[in-house]
Amino acid sequence: MGWRGSWLARAGVGFVRACVVTGVSLLVPAVWAAGVVLWIWWWHGDRWSWIVPFLWASIGTIALIRPVCQMVRSLVEKWTGTVIPGGYREPGPVTRLSTGYWWNGHSYERTSRDALMDQRWRLRWSDPANRRDLRFVGIIPFTAGVVAAVPPAGVAGAVLGLLQPSPVARLAGVLCAVVAVGCAPYAWRIIEPVAARFLRPSPAMALGERIDELTAQRADTTVAQAAEIRRIERDLHDGAQARLVALGMSLATVERLMRTDPDQAAELLREARAGAATSLTELRDLVRGINPPVLTERGLVDAVRALALDSQLETAVSAEERLNLDPPIESALYFGVAELLTNAAKHARATRAHVSVVRDETGVVVEVEDDGRGGADMRTGGGLDGLRRRLAVFDGTLEVTSPKGGPTHVRMMVPCESL
Amino acid sequence: MRIVVAEDLYLLRDGMIRLLAAYGHEVVATATTGPETLDALLKWRPDVSVVDVRMPPTQSDEGLKAALAARREVPGLPVLILSQHVEQLYARELLADGAGGVGYLLKESVFDADQFADALERVARGGTAMDPAVITKLLSSGSSNRRLDGLTEREHAVLALMAEGLSNQAIGQRLFLSESAISKYTTTMFDKLGINNDDHHNRRVQAVLTYLNKA
Repeated sequence: MGWRGSWLARAGVGFVRACVVTGVSLLVPAVWAAGVVLWIWWWHGDRWSWIVPFLWASIGTIALIRPVCQMVRSLVEKWTGTVIPGGYREPGPVTRLSTGYWWNGHSYERTSRDALMDQRWRLRWSDPANRRDLRFVGIIPFTAGVVAAVPPAGVAGAVLGLLQPSPVARLAGVLCAVVAVGCAPYAWRIIEPVAARFLRPSPAMALGERIDELTAQRADTTVAQAAEIRRIERDLHDGAQARLVALGMSLATVERLMRTDPDQAAELLREARAGAATSLTELRDLVRGINPPVLTERGLVDAVRALALDSQLETAVSAEERLNLDPPIESALYFGVAELLTNAAKHARATRAHVSVVRDETGVVVEVEDDGRGGADMRTGGGLDGLRRRLAVFDGTLEVTSPKGGPTHVRMMVPCESL
Repeated sequence: MRIVVAEDLYLLRDGMIRLLAAYGHEVVATATTGPETLDALLKWRPDVSVVDVRMPPTQSDEGLKAALAARREVPGLPVLILSQHVEQLYARELLADGAGGVGYLLKESVFDADQFADALERVARGGTAMDPAVITKLLSSGSSNRRLDGLTEREHAVLALMAEGLSNQAIGQRLFLSESAISKYTTTMFDKLGINNDDHHNRRVQAVLTYLNKA
C-alpha cells in the first residue's frame, strides 16, 4: 500500500507541476493567441486592422520575457536544486559629482532617481541576455510546453470522453486517463534539461562579463600604480634629494672653514656624516616598501621567514622550498602576508601567528592564521578589500574567516601554471 | 692584515680598498661575482674578507652564499658581510655554525672608519661584529620581547652591545662605565636569563642568540 500511496502522491505532485510548466511556457503564446482572437474579432476587411493586436502582443512579449525566464529558473531550482545563473548585467555605482549632478556610468542626471531610472532602462535594453531570453521564450512552448501539456491534456480528454454516451469515446477517455496518470510523475522534468541548455549565460555573455571585470581591474591597477609612483616621488623629493643638497652645502662650507676654523669644520663634517646615514636609512625604508631586497635575493619563502622573524608576533612558517613563482605574484603575496601580520598584531591583538605557503598543480596557497580576537571584515575600501583587489589582478582570491572572538584565518590563492 | 674585498660596484670597491690601505691593511685580491669570491676566499685564505651580499651573475645573495660555502670548506674563515640592508634571517645563517669570525654590518657602518676598523679586527681575531640594526630587530621581535621583560633598561643596553660582539671593556667605553661594572651586569643578566656565562666573545654572542632563538 505504501509504495502505491507514494506513487500516487508523486503522480499528484507531478500533475500539478506539469500544469505549472504548461502554464508558464504557454504564457507568451497565450498573449499572441489573444492577439489573433482580437484581430479576427475586429476583422472588417480593413487591411491595417492587424496593427493594434500585433503591437499589443509584441509589448506583452517584451514585458513577459524576463519574468518568464526568472520563473523557470526559480521553479527549476526549487524542484531539482539545479541553479541556472542568469548572467544579467549588474548596474554600476551611481555617484554624486562635485557639480551636484549624478553620474551613472552613462549620463549625468539632476537627481539620483533619474540617474537610477536611466541606468535601469539602458541596462534593460542593452543587456545581451535579452537575446538569449527571447530565444528561450520562443523555444519553450515547443519543447517543455508540449511535453508538460500531456498530463493536463490527458485529463481533459478523459473528462470529455467519459461524459460521452458512446462506448468508443468512453474507451478513448479511459486511455487518456491512463496516459495522463502514467506520465504525470515524469512529464514536468523536461523543464530542467531545456532550461539548463537554453537559459545559461552564452559564451559571449561570459566573455562580456570577463571584459567588464578586467576593465575594472585595469583601472584599479593603473590608479594604484600612479598613487604609488607619486608617493615614491614625494618621498625621494622631500627625503634623500633634500638631504643630498644639504650634504653638498655642508661640504662646501667645510671647504671654506677648513683653514679659518678647523673645529667648526670637524663639527660640520660629523653632521654631514650623520645626514648621509639618515638618508641611507630613509632610502632603505623606501626600497623595502617598493620591493623588499630579501625578496629579490631569496624569493618568497625566505622573505616570509624574514618577515616572521621581524614580526611583533611569535610567527611560525611552514613552507615548501621551491616555488618558482613570477616576481609580481611573489611581491603581491609577500605584501599580503606583511599586511595580515600587521593587522593581527595591531587590530586583532594576537600574540602568535602561523603562515603556510603551499604550491600545488593549480596554484600557490598562502594561509595566515592568528590567535587574536577576530572580527576582521572585508568592507569596501578597507585593507582587506585592497588586498583582495591586488590578488584579483592575478585571478587570485582572498578568503577570510574571522568570527568575533577569533581566531582569524585568511587564505590567499593565486592560480599559476604547473611546473 | 691580508684582506680579500668582494664588491661588484666599482666606486664602493675602490673606496673600500683606499680605506683599508689608510689603516695599513693589504688587499690581496678583489672579486666582483659570487663564484670569483668563493675562489678568492679559498685560494688566499685571507686574515679577513669584506664581502657584499648582492652580486652578479644573478644579483641575488651570491656573496652571502659564497661566504657560507667558503666557511663550510674552511671553518671559522673570518668574513665580514657588508650589505645595504640587514636581515635577522641572514644573521642567523651566518652565526649558525658557531665557529666565530663573522661580521654582518650595514654599508654605512664604514662612515665611522675607526669603529669599522675595530669590527674588522674583531672578526679577524675570531670574534663577532653584528650591526646594531640587526640586534635591535632581534631584541624587539615578538618572542624576544616577552623573554626580556625581566631585564632593566641598563641590562637591556648591555645585552644589545654584547650581541653586537663587543667585549666587556668595549661595552664599558660605550656606556661610560667601568669594565668591572659591566661584568657585574652581565653576571646578573645571565643569571636572570639562565644563560651560561662565558668570557669568550663569540661564545657570548652565541649564547644570547641561541637564547633568543629558543621557541
